[in-house]
Amino acid sequence: MTQEEMERAGEYVLGLLGEAEAKSFEAEMAQSAALAGAVARLREHMAALDDTAAPVPANPDLWRRIEAQLGPQSQSPAQPTSVPANDNSRLRWLGMAASVFGALGIGYLAGMMGTNQQQPMMIAVLMSDNGGQPGAIVEAFADDSLRLVPLDTFAVPEGRVLEIWTLHDPAIGPVSLGTFNASQTIRLTGPDLPPPQSGQLYEITLEPAGGSPIGRPTGPILVKGFAKAPL
Amino acid sequence: MLHAMHQPLTTEDLIKRIAKGDRAALALLFEAESGRLVAVAQRLLRRRDLAEEAVQETFLALWRRAASFDATKGTGRGWLTVSVRNRSLNMLRDGARIDHEDTDKLAELGDRMADALAAYEALSARDALRFCLTALDEKKREAVLLCYVTGLNHGEAAATMQVPLGTMKSWVRRGVMALQECLS
Repeated sequence: MTQEEMERAGEYVLGLLGEAEAKSFEAEMAQSAALAGAVARLREHMAALDDTAAPVPANPDLWRRIEAQLGPQSQSPAQPTSVPANDNSRLRWLGMAASVFGALGIGYLAGMMGTNQQQPMMIAVLMSDNGGQPGAIVEAFADDSLRLVPLDTFAVPEGRVLEIWTLHDPAIGPVSLGTFNASQTIRLTGPDLPPPQSGQLYEITLEPAGGSPIGRPTGPILVKGFAKAPL
Repeated sequence: MLHAMHQPLTTEDLIKRIAKGDRAALALLFEAESGRLVAVAQRLLRRRDLAEEAVQETFLALWRRAASFDATKGTGRGWLTVSVRNRSLNMLRDGARIDHEDTDKLAELGDRMADALAAYEALSARDALRFCLTALDEKKREAVLLCYVTGLNHGEAAATMQVPLGTMKSWVRRGVMALQECLS
């Protein structure tokens, strides 16, 4: 690479090229692996300076503004036409989205809704992670709702919540079913997921207020257990 | 199984899912990255509302163009950083920044040098970039840092350092040149 090319690569990364200059430089980069490589290397190093900016908390309002402009998922230009529309998997993704909205504090926790006459499809007894003591019972219903009966009092420190998760498909990972903060019988309207299966994992973790910030369990597992169909 | 439950998704995994129209993946990436990106944009734009606008555009562009992400050319994280930086710089160059009175402007420019130097000081002592920036002449180091960290253009950087435009251009050119040689 010539000295002139290196200088322009540097000025490009620093954001100092004018619009027209930047466009013509990008066209050159597309033709020259050496030039593109020099830019990529310098960028990677310079990014250490960006990383010194102290991150701010994710803003749920900003997410709502972005989401409002996405349009329906099926009409998204990002949806490749070669991928068959699979309602089931779409519902699962929406379920995962619901867990994120929960984490963002948008919330879908139904709370206490009184007892329900339906039969649960699956029941899981969640055991404590260390001593194997039963800590809670989860009843999972066909309509994605859930009844949680604590058998033990969970200690919830100030500024933390309990979050219940299920793993219905290891390829997708854990999905939040909701957050709660008191050890009492509650009813949760979970996200749209395939019907609960025998052997499906449920667990409760301790998370920051508002739920896990990343949509995956981050805190300690208090209890966990596998679903089984009642006779 | 429990292990799998705690395996975090990488930025690149999420971008692949976003390319298939997966909103939940976009939401997860927003959770993981938006706070960092707002901070990066705010250092350039100085205003939270403008910084959030830049981040909003970045995520909308990602939603539309995630399929063009090429993991062989860099990390997803780096891609997002460049995207938010470019948007912020475009906003700066378009004059989105509030106009200040002259006295405010001078005080602000002073702040910009403090911001630039603070970022340099915050680099890890083991960072190659820190080593190579330290190896530069002070003026060239300051010129490079001012432009990259705070998004000033040549003219603004020249005013901040009270030197002629030509001097600033030459410091920046020689500075980035020496930096690339040192880093390679």
